[in-house]
Amino acid sequence: MKHSLVIGQRVLRELSKDKRLFGLSIVGPFILIYFLKIFIDSMPPYFPAARYAVPFAAFIVHFFSFILCGIVLVEERTAGTLERMFIAGFSRTAIIGGYVFGYFGLATLQATVVLGETLWLLDLDYGGTTLLLLFVTIVMLSIVSVMLGILASTFARHAGHILPFIPLVMIPSIFLSGLLIDPEQLPTWAEWIGMLLPFRYANNIIQELIGSTFEASVVYRNLLILAGYICALLIIASRTLKEAD
Amino acid sequence: MNAISITGLVKSYGKVAALRGIDLTVPQGTIYGVVGPNGAGKTTLIKTLVGVVRPTSGTARVLELDPLNDKWALRKQIGYMPQDAALYETLSARDNITFLGRAQSVEGLDQKVSEVIAFTELVSRARDPIHTFSGGMKKRVSLACALIHQPKVLFLDEPTAAVDPQLRARSWELFRKLAQGGTTLFISTHLMDEAALCDKVTILNQGKILLVDSPRDILNRGKTRLSVTSRDQCSQTEIESTPEAIAQKLHEFGLPNDISSVEVEPSTLEEIVLEIIREEPQ
Repeated sequence: MKHSLVIGQRVLRELSKDKRLFGLSIVGPFILIYFLKIFIDSMPPYFPAARYAVPFAAFIVHFFSFILCGIVLVEERTAGTLERMFIAGFSRTAIIGGYVFGYFGLATLQATVVLGETLWLLDLDYGGTTLLLLFVTIVMLSIVSVMLGILASTFARHAGHILPFIPLVMIPSIFLSGLLIDPEQLPTWAEWIGMLLPFRYANNIIQELIGSTFEASVVYRNLLILAGYICALLIIASRTLKEAD
Repeated sequence: MNAISITGLVKSYGKVAALRGIDLTVPQGTIYGVVGPNGAGKTTLIKTLVGVVRPTSGTARVLELDPLNDKWALRKQIGYMPQDAALYETLSARDNITFLGRAQSVEGLDQKVSEVIAFTELVSRARDPIHTFSGGMKKRVSLACALIHQPKVLFLDEPTAAVDPQLRARSWELFRKLAQGGTTLFISTHLMDEAALCDKVTILNQGKILLVDSPRDILNRGKTRLSVTSRDQCSQTEIESTPEAIAQKLHEFGLPNDISSVEVEPSTLEEIVLEIIREEPQ
């Protein structure tokens, strides 16, 4: 735990010193949300803006956390700093934990910016509990993204190798997780694939929360599934993060 | 006690054999050089000893510990300086050293960081980000990172490759100071003049040890071309490189018989260049 905090602190320090990367990871989502607003403004008045906008905001955080963590960890590997961390005495679990802590900080900031901007631009109004649960959902989703990034980085020899994981891991979430269409309208095999994608459960929570009333059991069940993803990915990532060739 | 002992070490990557049955021992407190061309297996050997490469067969012990099975006990006692600097470019030298020091839970870390910064002569640049450093300066930061927990054995993978002669000479002064303090240094290099500064040298080629000896004894295996000119007559001959062989040959040209050895040690080009730099007023 102590070592994870040391690594998390270092990741945050690096991100704060790399003003370009830090700026882009905040400004990038900010601009995308504005594009979303322009798109929604062009829709007919009865278009359900919240049904698409809020999950899309969550997807942006999901996407950026995955890409950033994956690329930075591949860079650690190619620069030799990952190997050096192992030799210096950091364990695999400490390294993964450190990355989660580090990116948790960034994801919290991203979630605040993205959610705040979406609600402000689209003039959406929710109660305190709903807002808190939306925020928790996005942050939990970003932790899943960090784990996926760590996992993807173990199969990559350089940063460019992370790119093929975008169509493999990220893009299917748009079509199969209920972001654009109800998963029940999909062919059975596609629905099954969608059930494997963590974004589906984040979307389930968001759709439940933005309705006029929400069923707490549905929200907590899906939050529990996201927590399960975090645990499962933590175990898989700690096994695939190779210490010795 | 030997700091390092290796028996029958083999490492293969598929059909490619990187190490082919290495046997060697390194006494404590020595500077041990592994010399060989690129691809000889030097880095693989070092990585096996620090526990990030799993050997295909054979055994390796560092301070009598297995690099893989006793990794937690071992990593407290070894330092590793990789071939590339392996530093966080946006962080300062001090931050990099502190970060790796925290991995070992070094007591009085701030004080220790200041000490290694002073030892590696980085005081004036300690708070600057690494991306503003030259290659040689980065190597020094990397060395400081390897030294922060005062390791008993230090593995240095080509520590002065692509470093200017002045900094290289200074680095070797630091290495010698560490060895005098009891640290064992295991250094890989492809620079032969650097190998001459080690206490013992192993010549590695294509994953096999060709020779283990002191640099002096390796030099003695060479030949000396001796040219003696007397009354416009030049006599050229090739003799053994030992001081005794040179004296014996010169006896034929009138060197008194009571002189039993002759040694000529001209400055190297590097030494001459360094001297010129030193003489230049700052």
